[in-house]
Amino acid sequence: MTTGPMTTGPKAEPTTGPTTAAGEADATGERTFRVAGLTRVEGEGSLYLRVVDGRVEEAHLGIFEAPRYFERLVVGRTPDEVIDIVARICGICPIAYQMSAVHAFESLFGVAIDPSTRALRRLLYCGEWIESHALHVYLLHAPDFLGYPSAIELARDHRAVVEQGLALKKIGNRLVSILGGRPIHPVSVRVGGFSRAPRRAELEDFRADLEQAVGLAQATVAFVSTLSAPEFEREPRLVALRHPNDYPMNEGRIVSTDGLDLEIGAWEDAFREEHVPWSNALQARTHAGERYQLGPASRVTLAADQLHPLAREALASLGLGDLVRRNPFWSVAARAVELVHATAEALDIVDGYRPPAEPLVRWQARPGTAAWATEAPRGLLFHRYEVDARGRITGARIVPPTSQNQVAIEADLVDFAPSVLSMSHEAATIRLEQLIRSYDPCISCATHFLDLRIEGR
Amino acid sequence: MVMTDGWIAAPPRVRLLVCGAADRGDDGAALVAAATLLPALSEAHRALVDVRRCGQLDVDDLIGTPDGMAGLIIDAAIGVAPGTIVTVPFERLVAGDGAVGPRSSHALPVSQVLGLADALGHLPPGTFVGIGGRRFGFGQGLSRVVRAAMPAYRDAILAEIERLAG
Repeated sequence: MTTGPMTTGPKAEPTTGPTTAAGEADATGERTFRVAGLTRVEGEGSLYLRVVDGRVEEAHLGIFEAPRYFERLVVGRTPDEVIDIVARICGICPIAYQMSAVHAFESLFGVAIDPSTRALRRLLYCGEWIESHALHVYLLHAPDFLGYPSAIELARDHRAVVEQGLALKKIGNRLVSILGGRPIHPVSVRVGGFSRAPRRAELEDFRADLEQAVGLAQATVAFVSTLSAPEFEREPRLVALRHPNDYPMNEGRIVSTDGLDLEIGAWEDAFREEHVPWSNALQARTHAGERYQLGPASRVTLAADQLHPLAREALASLGLGDLVRRNPFWSVAARAVELVHATAEALDIVDGYRPPAEPLVRWQARPGTAAWATEAPRGLLFHRYEVDARGRITGARIVPPTSQNQVAIEADLVDFAPSVLSMSHEAATIRLEQLIRSYDPCISCATHFLDLRIEGR
Repeated sequence: MVMTDGWIAAPPRVRLLVCGAADRGDDGAALVAAATLLPALSEAHRALVDVRRCGQLDVDDLIGTPDGMAGLIIDAAIGVAPGTIVTVPFERLVAGDGAVGPRSSHALPVSQVLGLADALGHLPPGTFVGIGGRRFGFGQGLSRVVRAAMPAYRDAILAEIERLAG
């Protein structure tokens, strides 16, 4: 569907049009900012900031698209049907949805997959991380750091930079296509393995591209090292998976910087979702009502020792130390480091690949609760399914990472906004948008337009 | 254009980029149009066209267009009345004529994909032919108004194929 070239449309409500400014002081010295159209995020919603005496009193990330009912759509379906359905939740991270679902079902059914199948699933996830992170670093976030309104203007002045990002993204897309049949909404993942495993020669043919990708990812880290981020530090609660042997993707335990250590399917033991008046999407908090942060910075912080040696080297070369954890703007660095990890691990998997003896092992459905979490590019993605004795779904809960990051985004805006209120309207807007984009929000599941308004008095 | 049925005079001159998703209501309009238009074309007309199914348009779809070949993007659109057919040259989209406010996402909108290809020096000459959609829900078929406009949509696509190839 094309949404760009036309005038206005039903999805343009409640506001349309390019970013507008109304940032001049009024007769009483009060100041109002109204900005419509936050760009370079996935989806559309609204942000409302209320400023009193230079202090942000309210920050609401509103999501007003009607619910998409995926949790209802899967009811009555078989596990393999669910895997195809949930992939449609997102065009940029369909594999994450497939992986959380397939592992949940395999855990409940007691399915033991071939070790080569396990490696192929990590390889598939590497492909998704590569395409998603490359897109975000180069096309969505880099313009903020370099002072351009979009990747188009960036490309005019820094063509090589943008071409580097596109080349990386293309390799990620191709990797997903090889394993999943197509770059978006792949179709090969099944309970018990894959509908088809690639031949060794197919992956060997791709080896040169992956070697190039490692170099491009390292160049991405070098590029990020030239950027400078706004000063903003806080002490966040970071949450991610952690595995004893691997960088977190499909397995491990849910851990946090404040000592949480949960079974991978026990997300609900520590977290809850709640409705807020300004959003159709649920927001997640800890049971104590506290915010937490997911994503690349969380993973890099909580599992730095599991990074590929090339990625560890890349992280060290940046010399950012604690800033990756404390300053959300430096998520771009964590994303770049994960590009090195994903490309390097993909190359290792291809080099060691032996086709599984059984790409698709037999399994028998069991009634019960299937719950699992995996690491989508932008953070922990939790799925829970209730399965009846016929192997049909009777209930589902899907908690995407962006719904979990929403509260942290709002809190960061409250803390960060005062530092930009003295700036020009345009500069302040860019900074606030940049902060939101630091989370790489993927709110297409629940959002169609982001209308940023800042009001002050 | 001098051709007869059964004789291919030259390589394809138009890359037809078919966008949309078949399982999302009117988002599948371009796929339906292509699926019904292309088999009905004469062999000479078919020889003019290099067809690519691209779902959501990506800049790679344009970058790979060979020199001398025009681009023709067909897709459903919002922002125009359902069933309305619009034909817009690439350069107008890049210039932002009539553009709605920023709608960027992880999948860049068509105007930005074209702008990016242009900035990188890879934008072929070409046209966007869209049809206004009414509904885009999962598992829905084409809406009645889009089905009714399908013959006119096919005619508009064919007219652009002939114009760009000529």
